[in-house]
Amino acid sequence: MPDQKLLTIQNLLLHFRTTKGTVQAVDGVNFDLERNHAVVVIGESGCGKTSLAKAILRLLPRNVQSYSGSVYLNGVDVMRLSDEQFRREVRWIKISMVPQASMNALNPVLKVGEQVAEPSMLHLGADKEAAWQQAARMFERVGVPVDFLHRYAFELSGGMRQRVALAMALVTAPDLVILDEPTSALDVLTQANIMNLLKRIKQELQTSFILITHDIATSSELADSVAVMYAGQIVEIGQAIEFFERPLHPYAKKLMASVPRLRSKMEPDFITGRPPSLISPPSGCRFADRCPSVFDRCSQDPPLVQQDGRQVKCWLYV
Amino acid sequence: MRNLKRTLAEILHYPSAIAGLIIVFLLIVLAIYTVIAIPYQEAIRLWRGGEEVWQEYPKMAAPVWQNWFTRTKLAETIVLSTRDNEVSKTVKAISTDMTDIEIEIPFKYAYDTFPQELALYLTAKYKQKQPHVSVIWITPDGREITLSDFSVQQSQSYRISQDTRLQRRLGGMKPDQGLFADPALETPTPLKGDYKLVVSGIVFEPDSDLDAKFILYGQVYGLAGTDHRRRDLTIAILWGTPIALAFGLLAALGTTVTTMFIAGVGVWFGGILDDLIQRITEINLVLPLLSILIMVGTFYSRSIWLMLGIVVLFSIFGSGIKNYRAIFLQIKESPYIEAARAYGAGSFRIILFYLIPRIIPLLIPQLVVLVPGYVFLEASLAVLGLGDPVLPTWGKIIDDAQANGALFNGQYYWILEPSMLLMLTGLGFAMVGFALDRIFNPRLRGL
Amino acid sequence: MSRAISSPEQRARWNSFTKITRYVVTRLLSLFVTVLIGVYLTVIIANMGGYVDEIRRAQIREQIDIMVSMNQQLRFMPLEERNKYIQDLVELQEKRLGLDRPFIVRSFNFLFDAMTLNLGRAQQMVSDSGSSQVRLIILERLPPTLLLFATANLFLFFLSLFTALSLSRHYGSFWDRIIVALSPTSAAPAWFYGIFLILLFAAVLGILPYGGMIDAPPPTGTLPRALSILKHMILPILAIIVSSIFLAIYNWRTFFLIYSSEDYVDMAKAKGLPANMIERRYILRPTLPNIVTSFALTLIGLWTGAIIFETVFNWPGLGRATYRAVGLYDTPVIVGTTVIYAYLLAITVFLLDFIYALVDPRVQVGSEGHKV
Repeated sequence: MPDQKLLTIQNLLLHFRTTKGTVQAVDGVNFDLERNHAVVVIGESGCGKTSLAKAILRLLPRNVQSYSGSVYLNGVDVMRLSDEQFRREVRWIKISMVPQASMNALNPVLKVGEQVAEPSMLHLGADKEAAWQQAARMFERVGVPVDFLHRYAFELSGGMRQRVALAMALVTAPDLVILDEPTSALDVLTQANIMNLLKRIKQELQTSFILITHDIATSSELADSVAVMYAGQIVEIGQAIEFFERPLHPYAKKLMASVPRLRSKMEPDFITGRPPSLISPPSGCRFADRCPSVFDRCSQDPPLVQQDGRQVKCWLYV
Repeated sequence: MRNLKRTLAEILHYPSAIAGLIIVFLLIVLAIYTVIAIPYQEAIRLWRGGEEVWQEYPKMAAPVWQNWFTRTKLAETIVLSTRDNEVSKTVKAISTDMTDIEIEIPFKYAYDTFPQELALYLTAKYKQKQPHVSVIWITPDGREITLSDFSVQQSQSYRISQDTRLQRRLGGMKPDQGLFADPALETPTPLKGDYKLVVSGIVFEPDSDLDAKFILYGQVYGLAGTDHRRRDLTIAILWGTPIALAFGLLAALGTTVTTMFIAGVGVWFGGILDDLIQRITEINLVLPLLSILIMVGTFYSRSIWLMLGIVVLFSIFGSGIKNYRAIFLQIKESPYIEAARAYGAGSFRIILFYLIPRIIPLLIPQLVVLVPGYVFLEASLAVLGLGDPVLPTWGKIIDDAQANGALFNGQYYWILEPSMLLMLTGLGFAMVGFALDRIFNPRLRGL
Repeated sequence: MSRAISSPEQRARWNSFTKITRYVVTRLLSLFVTVLIGVYLTVIIANMGGYVDEIRRAQIREQIDIMVSMNQQLRFMPLEERNKYIQDLVELQEKRLGLDRPFIVRSFNFLFDAMTLNLGRAQQMVSDSGSSQVRLIILERLPPTLLLFATANLFLFFLSLFTALSLSRHYGSFWDRIIVALSPTSAAPAWFYGIFLILLFAAVLGILPYGGMIDAPPPTGTLPRALSILKHMILPILAIIVSSIFLAIYNWRTFFLIYSSEDYVDMAKAKGLPANMIERRYILRPTLPNIVTSFALTLIGLWTGAIIFETVFNWPGLGRATYRAVGLYDTPVIVGTTVIYAYLLAITVFLLDFIYALVDPRVQVGSEGHKV
């Protein structure tokens, strides 16, 4: 159906065991995503953003303890699929990922071209020649010189590796691409380039994006919606323009206030204290001990309520 | 200190490490006990003293506890002398000059096999006239057999087993069998019961005296048995412990510390020095250590300290250097090293106080795991016949055993005892070392 | 369109070819120099820097003294003349054995001889064919050693590789924990386990031979002979495997575990690659250089332990020959075997370095490849 959402996540949960206790990385996340739509997931380090990406793609760590919820992709709950079905039908065909810009995302002993060609050969049944041609086309699209197909990862700079990873994520033309901190390790110019690239691709290929980042400023260009994550939960989600103009959740407010503005004399704000440990999160509202608007109801976990076309998880709006 | 406590707490998570620690602890206790209870000189005397020291022990006897596991009880070694309570000595004056001395040595024989040997050692005190004795054997069923009679010198040994006249009198049966065989049975079977050996002696001077010691050489003796030269193996087993531990620990320590230093210096100064160290490492790789040790031992000297020195010398440029180099290279790039350089710290200061402390956690498991390697190396040298000529070591026991065909002759205890200890030492240290590696190695931590 | 891809591909291939060749040649040269220096050191040590020469000189003098004193014809020679006669004989003998020149000079001759495998004559040992040439003795003894060690190591390599892979897939399982617990058993060398195996299977159970390579007397016919050799190979190979396998499996399984927690493995999973493909291309391939290096170390360890090992099993190989030479103080043979060992080690190292070069792209492309 044309207006069916691309992705609907309900109560997604991912806990894993460590020697110090159970880390509740993703603790009941709910949000929707339309087609050809980019949602930016904002949050501090350690709030569970990367775990969210892994949870959507079922990339569970070895010490996983709980993994539950529903992930509706085009109306089908992919959580119900077996591992083998998930691998064949969802991974990379429907959803792909550009990982955090680390040296390690690319196999050091295989040529990068080969790694970009792999998904075509595997999922689309292309033969080697066709796959490499497709890889070359993606390289052109992301702005990597074509003869880099025969290079190895260690020969490329950080920016180039990031583009290669992006090419690899797009080669099967998936519906959704999750990008985890795509620009954090890059210089400002490259950041801008990548963002422009993403905008172009969104336009040309009609892809949806989930962009996970802590860099609000850079990602604001691409965002159609914004979701704010805190301590493993989504605390606010809504249309980007409205969000940036007027964030609702106290945490979101503080976040936006902490971004320096070019043309404003306002001093950037900061938030006192530290985010709670994901091992034993507080029982009530998790932001309560740092919230300037805290009051007595905050000792209980607030529900997710609708407010002005957005969803906020805060007692102030109940 | 806090680190030490934390490490100990983590070690307790690994059952193999706990077992290893217990073994190592027991070995160290044994080593210390041995060095105190049997001082070095005493040990050497017992091990190399010669016939007089070893005469009281049977040849190639198994340990006493072997009897616990077998149905046929092997004869135990019995030593009784006039100083023991069970032995009675009656002195009766017959006339002014002659005195009758009766020494009765009773013993119980409850074994299924015949003894290896029988011997009677007499000591006499006299000025001119030698005492005269008559040796009588009394069996449990009341038979009295006169073994021999003769004059006694100041120190006289009467080897009953080798008395051919006695053998003839026993109808051709060797005395070890003949004196014990049950006359009622066809096949020679020892008669179990209370036996008595009587030494009936007459001395011809008022101040003369007579003492006797009877030794029944069984097939088993002692905690560890004996070897082909009648030596009590307990000495070698016990003393092998401190020697093995000392050799292993010293070699491991010497090698690891020196290697670490050299790797650190090489990495820090880089350039030609680093290359040189790499080349030396390669040359060292190609040099066969064991062959060189053999050559040194054959042509020069087999002293254990020399061997230790050579082993350490050749192990310094071993493969450990590559590992340390890799880690040092990583550390060298870290910002706090740059900071140290910036504030003007000298090279050696940086190496000593910055690089090396970082590597010590990784060094400890390496060190522990190296110990068994060196312990076995020492044993290897001994098995090749290049062991230290003086010291009693486990490897030497195995060497003796192999040379005397212990495996062919069924003297399993001779090989098994030192091997078990070697294995135990090796396992103990290895288990601890592996656990430490899992704790200290950052790459293994998540696993 | 296709030409645009194959041209850089061809260029890349040519590049790696030249790089690998250059690497190989450099390694060969450096290994050669290494062996050269190693053998020279061996020569020096074998003579203890002239010490052995002293022994030999004394031996010669003693022998000649005895010989002259037993010679009836010389009995009536005046003392001075006789001493001069002895002295002449001694000098003649020393010159014949080359002892009149200083050791340093001779050492280079030894070096040259050793490197060209002109290893002289044994003092007492003799080859099966009756020759006392050290080279022949050694060449005769080499095949049994190679046979045993090559077979054992092949078994070891593949057995540990596949077990380690399978274990790394089931981390924390029962078998995994058992292998980890058993890994310290590799502290004991192969000959040690050999003794126990002989004890169990030959002495107590009596189903396998005590040692040696073939039944005595050897059976006739190729197949019976081959079977007999195989029967004698069982215990030694078992000893080698038992003494190394748990540690080998542990090391490689740990490698695999470490490498399987790398980010690019997660990416491979995210890309939807099937498990066996991930194992092959993303875990095994990157680990290969490390596997090769650690296997090299195991091999070298086994080489050096061969002396005692072959003696324990009475296996007629190079190790046992060395042991015999030690017992007989047969210097040329001892030096000869050491030289051969040095060569064998160098060859092993070289082969493994070569495989390493083939497998690690950083060598193919050269780590001086500039980043773009």
